[in-house]
Amino acid sequence: MRKVTLLVLCGVLVIAMTILGGCGSNPSSTTAKQIVIGNLQDLSGPTSVLGNAVTRGVELSIDKINKQGGLNGSQIKLVTLDTKGDVQEAIKAFNRLADQEKAVAIVGPPISNIGIGLASIADAKKVAFVGSFADPRATVTEDGKVHPSMFLVQPSTVQYGEIMASYAVEKLSLKKIAILYDQSNAYAVSLVNPFKKYAQAAGATIVSEEIYSKGDKDFRTQLSKIKDSGADVVFAPNYMQELVITAKQSRQLGLTMPFLGALDYAAPFASLVNDPESASNIYFANNYSDSEPQLAEVRNAYKVKYNEDPINKVYLGYDQMTVIAEAIKLSGAATADKILEGLNKVKDVQGTTGILTISPDNHQPVGLSMVMYKLENGKYIDLGRYIPEKHKKQ
Amino acid sequence: MNIQLLINGISLGSVYALIAVGFALIFNILKFSNFAHGGLMTVTAYIGYVASLFLRNYISSLPLFFATLLIAALGGGFLALILERVAFRRLRNNNSPVIYYFISSITMGILMENFITIFASSNFYSYPPFLPASVIHYGNLSVAIPDLLMLFFSASALSILLFVLYRTKLGLAIRTTSFDVNTARLMGMDPNAVVAATFFVAGILGGLSGVFLGINYTLYPQLGQMIVKGFVASVIGGLGSISGAVIGAVLLGVVEISLIWVVGAGWAPVLIFFIMLIFLLVRPRGISGIIVQEKA
Repeated sequence: MRKVTLLVLCGVLVIAMTILGGCGSNPSSTTAKQIVIGNLQDLSGPTSVLGNAVTRGVELSIDKINKQGGLNGSQIKLVTLDTKGDVQEAIKAFNRLADQEKAVAIVGPPISNIGIGLASIADAKKVAFVGSFADPRATVTEDGKVHPSMFLVQPSTVQYGEIMASYAVEKLSLKKIAILYDQSNAYAVSLVNPFKKYAQAAGATIVSEEIYSKGDKDFRTQLSKIKDSGADVVFAPNYMQELVITAKQSRQLGLTMPFLGALDYAAPFASLVNDPESASNIYFANNYSDSEPQLAEVRNAYKVKYNEDPINKVYLGYDQMTVIAEAIKLSGAATADKILEGLNKVKDVQGTTGILTISPDNHQPVGLSMVMYKLENGKYIDLGRYIPEKHKKQ
Repeated sequence: MNIQLLINGISLGSVYALIAVGFALIFNILKFSNFAHGGLMTVTAYIGYVASLFLRNYISSLPLFFATLLIAALGGGFLALILERVAFRRLRNNNSPVIYYFISSITMGILMENFITIFASSNFYSYPPFLPASVIHYGNLSVAIPDLLMLFFSASALSILLFVLYRTKLGLAIRTTSFDVNTARLMGMDPNAVVAATFFVAGILGGLSGVFLGINYTLYPQLGQMIVKGFVASVIGGLGSISGAVIGAVLLGVVEISLIWVVGAGWAPVLIFFIMLIFLLVRPRGISGIIVQEKA
């Protein structure tokens, strides 16, 4: 029995080595014609819905570029590795993409924790890491210097938090604000701080600040406290599943004030709540408007390929790849250091989420407005693009 | 306000109770914590979802709800049978140590979770609305109808279970096997059949929990990780004790809600696990449990 097991194991080893050996020799023969782009996403962890969506967006962009003959005559090859939603896994995967797969640029996950964790490693490897890690600490160091390899392709949480605070206080004149957020989520925390600062400066008061932890499923206690606080509006910059539960439980407790949140209120939020009365009186800022013409092409391509409607992270993934492609065009070569140079020059590129210009000072997009939406009885109402007065002057 | 807190606590507790009972049932017989139950809840939640999408064309509201529950429960039952056959029967035939069961159950749990991740993780999903109104208001108090239904199903599933365990031949066989497998075999019982029947029943409970979790919290691959709360409830109530699991679960729900009210959501989980630690140290048999050894 033992001998048989040993033989089988040997056999497996030999086969594995042949296969892996074959893989190893493959890239060297084809690199001349291929540009390898890395993609680092959560494919199997708690944020896998987002990771898969970004990956599909990137793939759609690459499909389009390859069909049009590639970049500078070379086809693009995407290598996607799984972060499992974990910073340690992400570091291992990043090193593999940079060292073994020889990726010249890497698309990052829409997860701020991972962006912050990988910033110094990306800098050391000198490989561009382009993503939607909205926490500004992912692109700018504590002492205000820019991370040379980190690039953000959506408004940072500071810009984003301020846009929402401005909308609540200056546009809707809601002055008593309650906040409910996940204290273990860097994205939520980094939205709350600039929001509070901007709102208070504009004359609002924070009457209640309630937190919860990752994995919590019952917010009725926190919502009861918010109800008692007499707030005019609740700011809830949380992930979608938690917002769904929040909406159901708020209605159950009879909360009537409007909710304000980030793009996680976008579709399919309303269909997940599945109750028009719960999915009502909610304001949020999205990266794009569904009626904007530049989205149509990507949306149709997505529907044809996957037979369902894309979620907003698909567009972010698409735009990240568009920006990398633009950097390759601008710098004229598809090497890691040329792409870094090119990314600093990206200006007025039409993306699906707006006109993209990356500031060389902080590697964040410049003056990107957000589209405000209102959810009323389960229907999304487009309120148009909004940008605070303060942002315009900059 | 405090009565509302109590209502919320009990409704959260009834979610935990369904999970904890399915969990306790397996512990009762095989003396190990079956973490595969979490994966099973995830899979059955999706089975129920697919069934409800399909059946929606033919029936609606309450009949649809019951049909969905039935299909998910049966799906859970049969899935548990497969699990038992694949992951545990061989271990039992080899008289393997309890820790092997434990590892095997965690493996199966992760396996099922990842299967769902592969097939269903490109989007979030949620059940179609089964009932027109979702909340009952009484003065200042409000109760969600899914919560009431869940309480009702927890209570009735539990009554049926207790009836089966203490009033039927099968129940006698299950209790005998849980007491001593070898003697049960000497008495002419087939332990494989008894264990399979237990898994089937636990699977049915897992199926019901899956659908309720899906309705309350939307569908996502990590839904089954709520099993941890069921485990805590089981420990507090006494691992392996069915009634203890229910008491522990309701208690856990009420304590959790009250702690969030008093110390906030940041400290509540810390204190909950602290309470669990105290139970393990001071009263490892839980509130009503008898089993002292093998707290794997």
